[in-house]
Amino acid sequence: MIKRLLVANRGEVALRVIRACRELGVESVAVYSDADAHAPHVSAADRAVHVGPAAAAESYLSTARLLDAVHTSSADAVHPGYGFLSENASFAAACEKAGVTFVGPPSSVIAQMGSKIAARRLMDSAGVPVVPGDTPLDQSDAGVAAAMARVGFPALVKASAGGGGKGMRRVDDEAHGLEAIQMARREAESAFGDGTLYVEAVIERPRHVEVQIFADNHDHVVHLFERECSVQRRHQKVIEESPSLVVTPRLRSRMTDAAIQAARACGYRNAGTVEFLVDVSNGRGAERFFFLEMNTRLQVEHPVTEQVTGLDIVRAQILVASGEPLPWTSPWITQRGHAIEARVYAEDPANGFLPQAGRLLLYREPAMPGVRVDSGVAEGGEVPVHYDPLLAKVIATASTRDEATTRLVCALKAFPILGVRTNIPFLLRILEHPRFRSGEIDTGFLDTDGASLATSASVQIPDAVRDVLRAFTTGDPSRGTSRESRVDPWKVLTSWRP
Amino acid sequence: MAAVTRIGNGVYRVDDDGRQAIVYVAGTAGDLWAFWNGEVYRDGDQSSPPKGGHYRREHHDGGHYDLTAPMPATVVKILVAAGQTVKHGDTLVVLEAMKMELPIRAPADAVVQAVNCREGELVQPERTLVELA
Repeated sequence: MIKRLLVANRGEVALRVIRACRELGVESVAVYSDADAHAPHVSAADRAVHVGPAAAAESYLSTARLLDAVHTSSADAVHPGYGFLSENASFAAACEKAGVTFVGPPSSVIAQMGSKIAARRLMDSAGVPVVPGDTPLDQSDAGVAAAMARVGFPALVKASAGGGGKGMRRVDDEAHGLEAIQMARREAESAFGDGTLYVEAVIERPRHVEVQIFADNHDHVVHLFERECSVQRRHQKVIEESPSLVVTPRLRSRMTDAAIQAARACGYRNAGTVEFLVDVSNGRGAERFFFLEMNTRLQVEHPVTEQVTGLDIVRAQILVASGEPLPWTSPWITQRGHAIEARVYAEDPANGFLPQAGRLLLYREPAMPGVRVDSGVAEGGEVPVHYDPLLAKVIATASTRDEATTRLVCALKAFPILGVRTNIPFLLRILEHPRFRSGEIDTGFLDTDGASLATSASVQIPDAVRDVLRAFTTGDPSRGTSRESRVDPWKVLTSWRP
Repeated sequence: MAAVTRIGNGVYRVDDDGRQAIVYVAGTAGDLWAFWNGEVYRDGDQSSPPKGGHYRREHHDGGHYDLTAPMPATVVKILVAAGQTVKHGDTLVVLEAMKMELPIRAPADAVVQAVNCREGELVQPERTLVELA
């Protein structure tokens, strides 16, 4: 059994892993950069090691510094979380070489699945449906353009090393092909250091459905059902849920079978996710699904699966990495009720979703039945400019989708965050949108309806807010108000904006 | 007249004719923030006026277009020069921000009046990159 686990991450996922360690009696080691010296994950762990300056490249992304931290803290295992080095095969290999347990799949599997071209080939040969496409051996402009012509238009040109929408371009006609090829290649080279491209046919208005799988070292591979993540903004997931409205029992059994086949085909270990695109354009009963990619790590949205299955994925990750068999077997893994997660980001939807940084002057998480909050920040803390602006994930669970959605709306309306702008107003408008409520969503939902959801329809200052400010700024003791600074409320109100 | 009661650090209850609301307030004079029912209201936020979340902004004025940078970005490539005729949808400039390339395209058939940036330059939001007419 792992004795001391170093968590090579920050924020909410670091806290999530540290809590699982505590439940298992495993000692936890946090790492932190200069910018995170006072971050909650540092205090929550049993030990903490400084790993470098604020820039991620010299701290959370530095294999050498993280391995130094492993040695100085005498940790016997590393959990990479998500993002940063979680899908970096050479980091996993460096851990293996140093004799440290990496909580995740073997480095060879990460490398294979990290190459989208290799993953497509492997899945295709294992009988898992892949999006029709073409992988040109001739990687010149003309070679990729020829592949595009074979696939037909519209087409997607994608980077083999890509992810998160980077190094990917949609091409609607031949005239724009060359430009897209060159852009995708430049982007892929600068983001991933690998400009290899391939071409896929475009599935119009697809739904993004993924299957959580788990494999141990004792030949057990199980699935933990699906999550739907069709609500995306520029390929970043915003809202995730389980079960998916579009997945019928028959489709579910086909997709989970395919996911298990995918995991077996690549010799997978630990928790992973097989992402699929589901084409529902032919109507109910005629859905088609295609392998998109495999995520060889814990997912941001894993809590929705934990909520509907009642299982602890992170705890199981640590057990399985220790060599234990999976704590659950498939017949009794069930999906019950409905869970929806909203990602709360420090970003300003009214201002092009620009990431926000600053001090959290006031930060109060909602506490109510059926609501789980996984967060990595606290009131008075700084949101640094250097990292992903995810503050918290709010997960509502109830017996039906409608109830869970309403519960999530209530929770977000009771989640005051002041000092840094967040996307909560945007999340609320999505959750209250008729298309979201009816489940008629696809991955293009926020692209078509997003602009109207980004800003508030009303700029009226509510009476209640006016009343508080009037009392707040005049400081009338009979109203029991605070001693805080005095401001002319009417001057204040003219320049306020929601 | 509504009654306001401070019920906690930064938390206020408003009683207005029997209806209650909870409002959260934080900040200092000149930079006050308030939260009520999922919306945030802020004073002293003049540096970033609401912009509607559009990706690429064009200031369109009687056939004249100013194409501006949507976010801090690096100019990777300039594909046009002053005096050149461009068609709707043509890429004029390629920006890079957060490792993504962002093409700035012509919103209509037009003639390039001026190119106000150079390759390799770091440009700030709202900075005019290309003028068309």
